[in-house]
Amino acid sequence: MRYVVVGYAVVLGILFFYAVQLAWRRRRLTRAALRIEASSPEPGRSPGDAGPAADR
Amino acid sequence: MSPAGVGTTAAGLVRSRSSGRVADRDGGPLLPSAQAKRTERIIGIGAVVAVVGTVWLGLWVTPPDQTQGDLVRLVYLHPGVAWVALYLAFGLAAVASLLYLWPRTRSLFWDRLAAAAVEVGVVFNICTLISGSIWGKPTWGVWWVWDARLTSTAVLAVLFLGYLALRRVPSEPEVRAKRSAFVALFAAVDVPIVHFSVLWWKTLHQGATVLNPDLSPTIHGSMAWTLLLSFIALSLVFAWMLLVRYRIGVLEDRLGRGELESALAERRAEGVVADEDEAA
Repeated sequence: MRYVVVGYAVVLGILFFYAVQLAWRRRRLTRAALRIEASSPEPGRSPGDAGPAADR
Repeated sequence: MSPAGVGTTAAGLVRSRSSGRVADRDGGPLLPSAQAKRTERIIGIGAVVAVVGTVWLGLWVTPPDQTQGDLVRLVYLHPGVAWVALYLAFGLAAVASLLYLWPRTRSLFWDRLAAAAVEVGVVFNICTLISGSIWGKPTWGVWWVWDARLTSTAVLAVLFLGYLALRRVPSEPEVRAKRSAFVALFAAVDVPIVHFSVLWWKTLHQGATVLNPDLSPTIHGSMAWTLLLSFIALSLVFAWMLLVRYRIGVLEDRLGRGELESALAERRAEGVVADEDEAA
């Protein structure tokens, strides 16, 4: 039974850590994409147009 | 030039004017829709429930085997991970690579799908080798033997690790996709060799329990149902990992190109400022 428990622990452990790593990688890249998207101008709007805040 | 109703962000992403959503230029959305997120969550929860059920049934409910005793409980793990690696992951990678190479269906979608399937498949392949080795020690008396089945499975892992290494060589996405597809198809030739190795050569490894030539499973009752559940559980784990890994591929491609474009724009701007200074 010792080999069985070790087998389950090792395989499920590898899959768990790989899944966590995937989720972390995706979260980091999604945040980076959102950051770039937020810093880019709206389509159809020139870079100099600062929006309503500029009218004040 | 952008089509009507569509704008391009600094990162080379495409944004719809009507929905405001950011999309990949090659077709798919960059950020997943609510529907995609819900599907992924359902698959993830299903995978966790099925894996917990398999472990509970496999370790506590099913009976020990007459000859192998408790060691037979590894049958609810080892064939399942092998099934995912060989047939689901590497099979999907081969089909996706073929569809990329076929001119009518050529799209970076297939390339990213193949890359995602291979990375996840290599993890499952390594799990297959480790679980088989742990099973081999108490039954065969050795951790490893240069048996046809074991050797061909190890060769498969090395071939697809080579595929992943090749993808890291800097090149244009289309060039990388094409040569990766050829390598994936070459590596996939080993999949039927692994499957039929126990029939073609005299091996220490036992023959197929379910996918044998007669298609008559040699396992019955609660053991058969638990084995089936383990296949479903690990297939769901694979599906979840594939979805997440595919999304990572989309984000990496777009962000990588976006960073390059930003760097080039910065260099051009520096050049313009330098020219203006010289003119002044």
